[in-house]
Amino acid sequence: MTPATLIVAGLANGSIYALVALALVLIYKTQDVINFGQGEILMVGGFVGYSVLEYTHVPYPLALLAAVVAGGALGAAIERTALRRVAEQHHITLAMVTVGFSVLIKGVARLPFGSDIYTFPAVLSSAPVSIAGAEMSPQSLITVAVALVVALLLFLFFRLTPAGKQMQATQQNLTGARIVGINPGRVFSMTWALAAAIGALTGVLAAPLALLYPDMGSDFLLKGFAAAVLGGLESVPGAMVGGFIVGIIEMLFGGYISTSAQQISSFIVIIAVLLIRPYGLFGRRPVHRV
Amino acid sequence: MRRRILALLPWLALCAVPLLTNGYSQYIINLILVNVTVITGLNFLLGYAGQFSFSHAALMGIGAYTAALLSARVGISFWIGLPLAGVASAAIGLLAAISAMRLKRVYLALVTVAFAELLVWVLNNWRAVTLGTDGVNLPVPSLFGWDVDGDKRVFYVVLACTATMWWLARRILESHIGRAFIAIRENEILAQCNGINVPLTKSLVFAMSAFYAGIGGALFALVLGFIVPASFGLLTLVTQFSAVVLGGPLNLAGGAIGALLLTALPEVLRDFQGLQEVIYGVVLIVCVVVMPGGIAGLLQHLGVLPAEALARHWRRLPTPAAPPSAADGTP
Repeated sequence: MTPATLIVAGLANGSIYALVALALVLIYKTQDVINFGQGEILMVGGFVGYSVLEYTHVPYPLALLAAVVAGGALGAAIERTALRRVAEQHHITLAMVTVGFSVLIKGVARLPFGSDIYTFPAVLSSAPVSIAGAEMSPQSLITVAVALVVALLLFLFFRLTPAGKQMQATQQNLTGARIVGINPGRVFSMTWALAAAIGALTGVLAAPLALLYPDMGSDFLLKGFAAAVLGGLESVPGAMVGGFIVGIIEMLFGGYISTSAQQISSFIVIIAVLLIRPYGLFGRRPVHRV
Repeated sequence: MRRRILALLPWLALCAVPLLTNGYSQYIINLILVNVTVITGLNFLLGYAGQFSFSHAALMGIGAYTAALLSARVGISFWIGLPLAGVASAAIGLLAAISAMRLKRVYLALVTVAFAELLVWVLNNWRAVTLGTDGVNLPVPSLFGWDVDGDKRVFYVVLACTATMWWLARRILESHIGRAFIAIRENEILAQCNGINVPLTKSLVFAMSAFYAGIGGALFALVLGFIVPASFGLLTLVTQFSAVVLGGPLNLAGGAIGALLLTALPEVLRDFQGLQEVIYGVVLIVCVVVMPGGIAGLLQHLGVLPAEALARHWRRLPTPAAPPSAADGTP
């Protein structure tokens, strides 16, 4: 494996971690909580896409759309049924609710699917293409492209649409947003729906590259954590860059050290970032307010 | 004095339990007692001090492995390995906590997630020391010629340790340290303004919680006789979270109730992991949203369970000198 091949493969995985980190950052910024269920939402997206493809044989984009809609509905439901009731409580309460949903979703997925491993068909199964001397499968190429498009759309959404601006306002100052007539409950639901829809989309993208099984989420969640921490936890471009870096580091670890070291590359990233630059590459030094 | 004797009575009554059990139910009861210790430790951290940490199950693994490896591979007696297990866990737990302490509180959860995965990875992959997935057998320990073999004998050892740890927990929580924990949970800046050394107290609660996890882990190794890294993963952690939340955070008796209710569940549903996870998930969500005081809070509300000693002392104070919201036991 040449370094270029490793880096290109890292970009494909990295774009998935970037999307996980993106969703984590979205929810963290609005509700000040880490969504520990993001990995399971990804898994749901993968399984919905798989089931739709397998049982209805519709074209791939429709399966993708079904997964995204299901993910968005799931996210909004989590927010509306549970999180909204405890939104103003101790941060442990909120985090515990997301842990609860993470376990619940995993358990529900295990009831019909068991702990078996499913293989998700690739969208395009043509020969790998060569870019700058590195081999890359079309599937990886699509993954990177979709991740970049999602980031761009998100950027435009925040800049151009009223809903996006309401979200930003709520993120910056909840009380202020309330005063100018924004309904924070609606914004919270929207944020969760958006983050979960991105999560489900990530699942459909990740499933062909990885394997599809109910426990797949926690691994992606950890890598997403590493990416978000690297990006400063509050920055959308930070999450994207962080994701790509984590993906590349992971492949380099696998290529030059060992495959078992690959599993812990993300922990090393998290710990190293927190020791060297705790507010991440794009974060600001935190200010304590009394 | 009379109250102290009364407090001893339930423990004395427990000594008669082996007369009523067969091998399997005795084994389950032993596991429950082990979990009472482990969950008391988690309750310090999660309930009293309000720190969200994911490393408790992994630290329990450190305790279990310390005791088992020292005994099986080095030949150090289990009775020395048991406190060493607590100390080893406390040291490693502190390491994670201190690195995260300087940062915003959300990083604590992230660091401990990474840390817990790393510890389990080490247990799995450092085969030269931990024997990896093959697991470790704990030799039967012997106390002055009395072999601790069989579930009934193990029971008395576990009971003595659990009772000691329980007593210790009460003493700590009724002292100014216990109040400092709650003050930190409610408002760190306010706690600091009241002369509480926040970093020191946080380090203390992490070390104590990890110490309980380590002792619990060593006892777990004693009860099972054989340990593998998989016992200290995510599912165990979720069970522990559920036990704290279901029984009642901010309440020692609550931890015991949670341990009592949730220890048997993985045994009953051994072949139905999906169903187990659904139950834990529902317990976590429903308890946190609808019943934040857990079962203990409910029982206190109904007047069945007396309020914790900590809260009783507080109510006797003539002026609201203590943080007011901590006294009612709800987050």
